[in-house]
Amino acid sequence: MSIGLKLMNKVNYKLICLLVLLTFNVIAEDDHSAEPLKIHGFVAQGVIDVDGSNFVNDDGELSLKLTEIGLNTSYQLSDDFRFAAQAVYLNGGNRYNEGLRVDYFLVDWNAYSSEQLQVNFFVGRFKNAHWLHSSTRDIPFERPSIILPQGLYFDGFRDIAVGGDGAALKVAYSNDEYGEFDFNFSRGKSPIKSKDAEVMLSEFSQGNIKHELDTQASVYWRPGFSQWKFGLTLLDSEFNYKSATFDFFVDGRFRFQNYTINAVFEGEQWRFTSEILQTRFLTEGFYAQPFNQDSMGQGGYFQARYKADQQLTLIGRYEKFYTDKDDKRGNKLQEQSAGLVPSYFGYQDDAMIGFSYNFSDNFRVNAEYHWVKGTARLNPIVLPNPQANSEHWKMWAVQLMYWF
Amino acid sequence: MLVMLFGSPTISAVEVITNNSADIASIKTTQLRRIYSMRQVKWANGVPITIFVLSSTTKIHQQFCKETLRLFPYQLDRIWNKLTFSGMGIAPTIVSSEQELIQAVKSTTGAIGYIENINEVSDVNRLEIDE
Repeated sequence: MSIGLKLMNKVNYKLICLLVLLTFNVIAEDDHSAEPLKIHGFVAQGVIDVDGSNFVNDDGELSLKLTEIGLNTSYQLSDDFRFAAQAVYLNGGNRYNEGLRVDYFLVDWNAYSSEQLQVNFFVGRFKNAHWLHSSTRDIPFERPSIILPQGLYFDGFRDIAVGGDGAALKVAYSNDEYGEFDFNFSRGKSPIKSKDAEVMLSEFSQGNIKHELDTQASVYWRPGFSQWKFGLTLLDSEFNYKSATFDFFVDGRFRFQNYTINAVFEGEQWRFTSEILQTRFLTEGFYAQPFNQDSMGQGGYFQARYKADQQLTLIGRYEKFYTDKDDKRGNKLQEQSAGLVPSYFGYQDDAMIGFSYNFSDNFRVNAEYHWVKGTARLNPIVLPNPQANSEHWKMWAVQLMYWF
Repeated sequence: MLVMLFGSPTISAVEVITNNSADIASIKTTQLRRIYSMRQVKWANGVPITIFVLSSTTKIHQQFCKETLRLFPYQLDRIWNKLTFSGMGIAPTIVSSEQELIQAVKSTTGAIGYIENINEVSDVNRLEIDE
């Protein structure tokens, strides 16, 4: 197929998506009854400029690779069963693979329902509902910022962290005296394309990476009538790499174990959020046989949001992350790589300020500026690129979004 | 302190109405919060709850959230958006006027909504709110 035809197909494809969204918007606006079918969607386009790293592109030019389009449906099959699905088109440059994805496709079974207790099972492709922003990381108007804190919401792991194919359980218990308790459990695998392996690992990896296991659990508690909410999440995930006949790497196994705690305060104007992460990353093989590495990374952020009025919201955040708690400044990393990998690939600190402005109920602009020190959360993660990335880098982004 | 932040619920200018099928005369604030934050999806008699709301920027919605539910409108928006765009649930149906809301509650089994208490409405169940 010629390049021209490919380009045309891409443009047509985007146009079709937009048309479908606009058409369904008309239907959605007319939906004023308890109809079993619900349709919603969003379109967001932004501009992003990164100076000093290849976070979005390799040439450092201003980029339009900040596109997010989604369309979802929910259909109530009976009082207890519901079908839901969402397709998204994402383009974030080097952050993750550009393209169309089936975001979720599931059957929701309301297994038990009383005035105080809800038990739901989700079977199919489900979203990761465990972290504060994991289920809405691609939903531009539900994210606190255009770029999420990369320590926990690393875009390079987006496709493996966003959800899975399997089953999930949600238990919501409400008590008049002690407040609201949520328990979530999920087990599933993410389909990984060869392009994903290239983004995550390296352009030199020729083999296949397979998600073998993913078990996650989380607990949330909001005390009665409190403006605070607290959470705890656990993740255990395993990947196997099967090398190709002619490959730069050998067979290998990766294992992630994440533990996070979080707290949210929701006031009328102020909203404070913090998530603290500890992540264990085990590598067996892959670089060579035998090879074993067991590192414990840590990170966290504090975010303050101020709602000035109905339209304007200001936001500020500071984040710290290091890949090895015993090597916070990356000196060991530089030594072990004989100087090939600079020490600043061992950490990443990000200070961000921004604002959002609502033009109407469902039309908003977000803008933000980041000052970043370190490059630990840049793709590809296992074979860093010191030439394209400096220790101090900056980034700004503006994104317009519409949803219905 | 909560009363200072959210205002006293006893002087609320908003009343809660349900479809006559809901079979309920009064409701506690905690239960109302559960219903609007989608933590209770069926009435005690097993009838599914259908929620109708006005836009979150309307005065009556804001008054209802702050004075009756003792929540801020953005907190409900977040819960509803999260459910809608993660596939984990559905959000209330937004209607464009109070008249439309009353009509929707009248004609939908298990429906719940709110109105300004100055309005005279027939064929709906007005709920008394217990503390």
